[in-house]
Amino acid sequence: MPRPQGNTFATVALAALAALLRVAPLPAGEHPLVIVIHGGAGVIERSRMTAEREASYRAGLAAALDAGYAVLERGGSALDAVGAAVRTMEDDPQFNAGRGAVLNHDGRCELDAAIMDGSGPRAGAVAGVHHVRNPIDLARLVMDKSPHVLLAGEGAEEFALEQGVTLVPASYFITPERVRELEEERRAAASRAPTTPLPIRPSAPKGMGTVGALALDRAGHLAAATSTGGITNKLYGRVGDTPIIGAGTYASESCAVSGTGQGEFYIRQVVAYDICAMVQYQHLPLEAAVRIMMHEKLARTGGEGGAIALDKDGNFAMDFNSAGMHRGVRDSRGHREIAMYRDAN
Amino acid sequence: MYAIAIHGGAGAVPRATLSPEREQRYRAGLEAALEGGYAVLERGGTSLDAVTAAVRILEDDPSFNAGRGAALTREGAAELDAAVMDGRNLRAGAVASVRHVKNPVELARRVMEKSRHVLLVGGGAEEFALEEGFGLVPNLYFRTPERQSQLEHEQRGERVSDLVPPGHGTVGAVACDRDGNLAAATSTGGMTNKRPGRVGDSPIIGAGTYAKNGVCAVSATGHGEYFIRAVAAHHVCAAVEYRSLTLEVAIAELLHDILGGLGGDGGLIGVDRGGHIVMDFSTEGMYRGARDSSGRSEIAIY
Repeated sequence: MPRPQGNTFATVALAALAALLRVAPLPAGEHPLVIVIHGGAGVIERSRMTAEREASYRAGLAAALDAGYAVLERGGSALDAVGAAVRTMEDDPQFNAGRGAVLNHDGRCELDAAIMDGSGPRAGAVAGVHHVRNPIDLARLVMDKSPHVLLAGEGAEEFALEQGVTLVPASYFITPERVRELEEERRAAASRAPTTPLPIRPSAPKGMGTVGALALDRAGHLAAATSTGGITNKLYGRVGDTPIIGAGTYASESCAVSGTGQGEFYIRQVVAYDICAMVQYQHLPLEAAVRIMMHEKLARTGGEGGAIALDKDGNFAMDFNSAGMHRGVRDSRGHREIAMYRDAN
Repeated sequence: MYAIAIHGGAGAVPRATLSPEREQRYRAGLEAALEGGYAVLERGGTSLDAVTAAVRILEDDPSFNAGRGAALTREGAAELDAAVMDGRNLRAGAVASVRHVKNPVELARRVMEKSRHVLLVGGGAEEFALEEGFGLVPNLYFRTPERQSQLEHEQRGERVSDLVPPGHGTVGAVACDRDGNLAAATSTGGMTNKRPGRVGDSPIIGAGTYAKNGVCAVSATGHGEYFIRAVAAHHVCAAVEYRSLTLEVAIAELLHDILGGLGGDGGLIGVDRGGHIVMDFSTEGMYRGARDSSGRSEIAIY
């Protein structure tokens, strides 16, 4: 049935109003719309970057940021927004999630993802999946359609099939660049001492490129999502912090965090939850809590990486103790920023 | 003061359905684990060794839902999760969904000490076990007739008591040694009739297991999904560290206010930096035991 003319006018009028609202101060009681993303932390330095690669990363981040923001702008939920942003980066082969994820010791992609709805709290996560094109969508299905929070390995893929998710061959995820990185890392590992009892620092930046997103929607709800291929040359079965609620991903009614870095350190310090606990219980500003976590608590144990955080008032923080972090933020107060290096660019 | 506490699962434990012989068996199992762990502390061992020893004994005892006698998945297999954490340096190790490792807590400990990782799952965890010289056992080793019939009842849609034998149960231990070092360990078969691949809170550092020197060590048992969402074990430690709550109040708040509010139930045991033990639960009962160097010694169910 054709839509009555009046509705179209109303839609146009609403869109015009929305355009005005974007530059005007928010009406009392209205929540700002905010999306914050990261595309991994690590050795991201100007000196190592070509102009094309940099432009390509920035374009990838912009696409994810805008995909998530578009959801918020049309009145969608924070949960849908973080899903959209992360899915965009999973499909982009330059990020370490979904297609283009790093390869494990056996030369396969083994993917982890988690999503959390701060207003439940509800959460879903998957670990060690090999054939799911968008692990973040499967994490969402675990949250929405199962009584569980975390499904791992074949059991997670069995659930995917039951939910009508089409599986893809393992080769879908593999890119020539990641194959080369694995070969380099294998050579480097062969010349290192055998397994040391303490977690060792990855020798290259390649391992750290987890993607994540946080959002605040019109209703004032927060959500967080994170997705990763883990670290290059990881042991088969290794699970990092990404799918661990509280470690790499966390959202409550007041605070949301997504992390990227050496996952083992993030798990041991329960990084994402601890940032929120410092804000809630020690009454620290969000930025200070993230700074303390990155530059004091995590740095003290030798852990490297970054985190993004967002609170219910729309305050955000993006910080890291590595050389750089792919990151971006966009909000309804007109702020839009994409950066990679330490000097806020 | 040194101290150790253990649990063997929390849930509905109706006195009527627990025969005296069975109750005796559980008490004896708890006693053996408690003594096994306490003996380590008594001879000057670390809290890490004490919790590992106590949990290993509970894993070997078919009465409890961990190791041999674990609850079975909907496909009739045992799938085991375990974690251990050392409060001295926040090092931790965990395994999930392993099917052929006799003592998952030992493998978790090995992950902590011999790999650069914290959590290994499934086939990858067993590959690591083989590399580390663990002998694998057939999955049949874990399956007991009691668990088999419990699964059949559950699959016919009959309500079964969770804890006879403990079905939502999990086993765990926390300890404080002579040097004030804290440690925690947890091990489980998860829930009866669970979906293969389902991972509960036990191997999730911060959810079912956490230890931090100077603060507390915690091990949880109950409906795992709720404990994961609430980041239960770390929530308790954060409440003690940041809000200066006593361990009693922190655990009570988590169980009764937070998890209760979400609709989840279970129990937690904890020990603080002074060696003070807390054991609390929101269910009908929790298999538990505590012993410390000041003379406290108890085993309880209800």
